[in-house]
Amino acid sequence: MAFIQIENQREVLNMKQYLKISTLIVTALAVLLLFTSFNEVFNPSPWGENEDYLFPRFIAGGIAVLALLLWFERDDKGKPTNFIDLLPGLGLILAYLISMNTIGFYMASMIMFFAVIMIYKKPEETKDFWRVLLIKLSISVVFILILYGLFTLMLQVRLPRGLLF
Amino acid sequence: MEFLNYFDNVFTVYHIALLVGGTFAGIILGALPGLSPTMSVALLIPFTFHMKPESGLILLGAMYTATVAGGAISAILVNVPGAPANIATAMDGHQMAKKGLAREALHYCFISSFVGGIFGVFILIFFTPPLARLSLEFGTTELFWIAILGITIIATIDSKSVIKGLLSGLFGLMLATIGDNPVLGVERFVFTDHLEGGVNIVVGLIGLFAMPQVLNLMEKYYSEKNAVLSSEGHSTLMQSFRFVFSKLKALSIGSFVGSLIGIIPGAGGQIAGLVAYDQTKKVSSNQSNYGKGEPEGIIAAESANNSMVGPSLIPLLTLSIPGSPTAAVLLGGLLIHGIFPGHEIFISENTAPVVWTFIDSLIIAQIFMLIIGLFLSRHSGWIMKVPDNYMAVSILVLAVFGTYSIGNSYSDVIIMVVLGTIMFFASKAGFSAVPVVLGIILGPIAENNFLLGKLIGGARYGDDWVIYFTTGTINVTLIAICIISITYGLYSNRKSKRSA
Repeated sequence: MAFIQIENQREVLNMKQYLKISTLIVTALAVLLLFTSFNEVFNPSPWGENEDYLFPRFIAGGIAVLALLLWFERDDKGKPTNFIDLLPGLGLILAYLISMNTIGFYMASMIMFFAVIMIYKKPEETKDFWRVLLIKLSISVVFILILYGLFTLMLQVRLPRGLLF
Repeated sequence: MEFLNYFDNVFTVYHIALLVGGTFAGIILGALPGLSPTMSVALLIPFTFHMKPESGLILLGAMYTATVAGGAISAILVNVPGAPANIATAMDGHQMAKKGLAREALHYCFISSFVGGIFGVFILIFFTPPLARLSLEFGTTELFWIAILGITIIATIDSKSVIKGLLSGLFGLMLATIGDNPVLGVERFVFTDHLEGGVNIVVGLIGLFAMPQVLNLMEKYYSEKNAVLSSEGHSTLMQSFRFVFSKLKALSIGSFVGSLIGIIPGAGGQIAGLVAYDQTKKVSSNQSNYGKGEPEGIIAAESANNSMVGPSLIPLLTLSIPGSPTAAVLLGGLLIHGIFPGHEIFISENTAPVVWTFIDSLIIAQIFMLIIGLFLSRHSGWIMKVPDNYMAVSILVLAVFGTYSIGNSYSDVIIMVVLGTIMFFASKAGFSAVPVVLGIILGPIAENNFLLGKLIGGARYGDDWVIYFTTGTINVTLIAICIISITYGLYSNRKSKRSA
């Protein structure tokens, strides 16, 4: 079928690589903070008596010092990332965010709910495809109707609107 | 003992119905990530417009008490705290749930919440005048040091690596500086329109806890069985009661710390649970078990966040200064009903019956919170049986709903997802979400009070403004606690690495 069947594969990133990458990211963050605070586009008088960026500069300094210490950290506790299983989920979340503003919260949530439970399914669920599809579609609709009743009808919370709701 | 005279007002059919309804709804709303106690109480205020003042306040008080305790349900069952006050509960509560002890964890949570809550209300009843004076002693510098104390806790709470803990905390503080400078009003680090409003505390909380959980469930869907195991606990209710009361040290530290933090204006109950958790861990003989499902951690955190409720009303009722964000919303509720806080509130013929009835109702609300909470614990098992794919997408949808409803902002949703995705990958390298959230919470408190303290210190001492931050009994005490906390954190970090 058209639905993606994901293999149980693991793409493992070495823990030490993780640590080095995170050190570089953290250092870049500190540099960005300091650059912004001393840049005249963001801070009109970076060298004056201006205290707008005083506190962030202390934070950036602290981050820079700790990033240096992190480089020498001997810590091998960490977990690998299974990108193969993760990527479809990340793609769906991105599509969910983009579609929410166009088709509304409830419609986007229903499609997201249905897509996730169809894509992430156990091998035994593929035997009777049409039955599984119908059941899962019904569950998605009921889930969204419950949310609509609770959030919109009872609590009167405003959510992004679009098609139907 | 004046408070005893007003119990009659609470025990009417109408007020009991309000208490039961408010408590039940509060526990359910508290369990939904994003619907924080502050928002739940705010949502309820319009419903109290047409009620008598005492009835409206009874409903709001019951909701306040129950939402704080209810937030622990999602913290324990799905590792997503319902409110910032429940962050510490998730650390050991969810680990217990994963071991199949969810029901026990929920029992400990509601029993210790009850004990802490009752303790807090009695502090409110008996110690209001002296504690109101103490809360006035906390000026800008004292509040700055309170925030710094919170940051030292960040360093020690993640005992595996103090450096990573501090880095995460500083990252949280950095996130808190995005948007307008709180004192000078200048916009900072707004690289895109989505960042104009800064990073809201609850948006950060949902993103940093809910999103990594969603991505974890997706990532491990094929390689692991349902991460959350059976809820079939082995202890009876009586055994749970006996167990909680056998942990008197955790219970008393939690209740005392929660009450103390509750009376400090602005500090809020958000850090009460974390401070109590940290202090209990430091004096515990089971230190190595913390973070792996230690019941003492739940007992300390939950007794603290509920004992904060009563004392947070002390500065509110006497000085009009709310002790927590929810108390600030409650202040609105008081004013709507024509009750203006001040010393006379407990004496005036018009306000005294309303205020004492409200305080008495808080005691009864604790009892209902315990009964309803324990009842719901018995039926929480179905959540544990929900398959991971359904759980992942339900958490995601609720997280998006909770985030959007805070300020009707699509930008908040984007910030929540981006922050959560970063946290998911950062957690792989051993970084923890707790210090980041604490940084976001403490950031505005630290920066506001630092800048204000510097202005006042500059006016008094000129270039030697630092003197203003380092003198005074409370300042010196807080600095000493900070130093002890960091030293102890480094020592225990080194000790655990050696033993490993």
